[in-house]
Amino acid sequence: MMRISELALPLALSVGALVVASAQQTPPAPTSPAGAGSQQRGPAPPTGPVKRLPNGHIDLSGVWQGGGPVGDIKMGLAKGDTLPIKPEWQKIMDARQSKEDPEANCLPTGVPRRDPYPWRILQTDTHTFLLFEGNIHSYRQIFMDGRKHPADFDPSWYGHSVGHWDGDTLVVDTVGFNDKFWFDFIGTPHTEQLHTVERYTRTTLGTLVIETTIDDPGAYTRPFKITFTARLRPGEELMEYICNENNGYVHHITGPAKEF
Amino acid sequence: MRAKLVCVLVAMGTALWTPGVIAHHSFAAEYDANKPVTLKGTVSKVEWTNPHARFYVDVKDDKGAVTTWNLELASPNVLRRNGWTRTSLNVGDEVTVEGAMAKDGSKMANARVVRLADGRRVFAGSSGGDAPPPAN
Repeated sequence: MMRISELALPLALSVGALVVASAQQTPPAPTSPAGAGSQQRGPAPPTGPVKRLPNGHIDLSGVWQGGGPVGDIKMGLAKGDTLPIKPEWQKIMDARQSKEDPEANCLPTGVPRRDPYPWRILQTDTHTFLLFEGNIHSYRQIFMDGRKHPADFDPSWYGHSVGHWDGDTLVVDTVGFNDKFWFDFIGTPHTEQLHTVERYTRTTLGTLVIETTIDDPGAYTRPFKITFTARLRPGEELMEYICNENNGYVHHITGPAKEF
Repeated sequence: MRAKLVCVLVAMGTALWTPGVIAHHSFAAEYDANKPVTLKGTVSKVEWTNPHARFYVDVKDDKGAVTTWNLELASPNVLRRNGWTRTSLNVGDEVTVEGAMAKDGSKMANARVVRLADGRRVFAGSSGGDAPPPAN
């Protein structure tokens, strides 16, 4: 990065002047890793063996980063797989505008979307909690006491989640979603028929593989599977993040979501 | 050679500057990476707030007319994790800002690099979600 900076042709500036350079002119050369992505920054996650809780199950606790789609859910598809979206829902998706993205409007990501902020897993004997720093500084609760989904529920952003262990993998089954959130920046849709099954496998101390099966016969012609990996952030703590504090600039966002 | 070097720099700049995947909203939907802007002026306000820290810079043109620009940064949490604080930049500071202009043509930009008059770099970190460390 520094070498690029040293190579940079200096941009001529007069004091007090405003210079707007077009793409055809010499742009200010990158002098920092800004934009390289927090998920790529910092030390590599630890690779030691996973630990177990006193009850024998895998200890999933810690502060994690990533683990779900942000920009485009298709990035989590297996090689060669395609998104089995119904044509009518493709049209709806194509018409979506970026400024309508619920996440940009400080609403929850839903499932399985992630945001650029850390999150924590907290396990108790009866519940597993996912605590989110970012949108919207909220949480998911996963019932681990063997209960079933209720027969009736009010559709919600995170749905109703029950979990169980399949060997060393935590399996989280969720229904009862609303249809308000998007799967990613590009507006990949779903309906209230959405049913997700997430499989959380801590493959090393610092690596959590999250494989999610998305079954939504409302918007898709078949279930499909996505896989994303979360990275442990050792020594990190969650910080307060109140998105709605000063989100008054969403109206400046322009263009179709699909152009992300 | 020069043309080739410029092309390489443009390509690398674009590659480094496509942070949409880690922002709270799509970078590309609000800012145009192909419209870089460099602003030189005086900080008139700093907002250390979510979802993005912001600061405002009064830029004088050759005739003395002042335009206030609204510069967007990452969130305070991201900036703080990278070593910046709410007092890293203060009202009255003379700064040079490199960023990407808002697509809608308003006097807004995404601040990528911020330098004080003495050349020290202060919190540069776009709403792409990350910021360089505070080393100068």
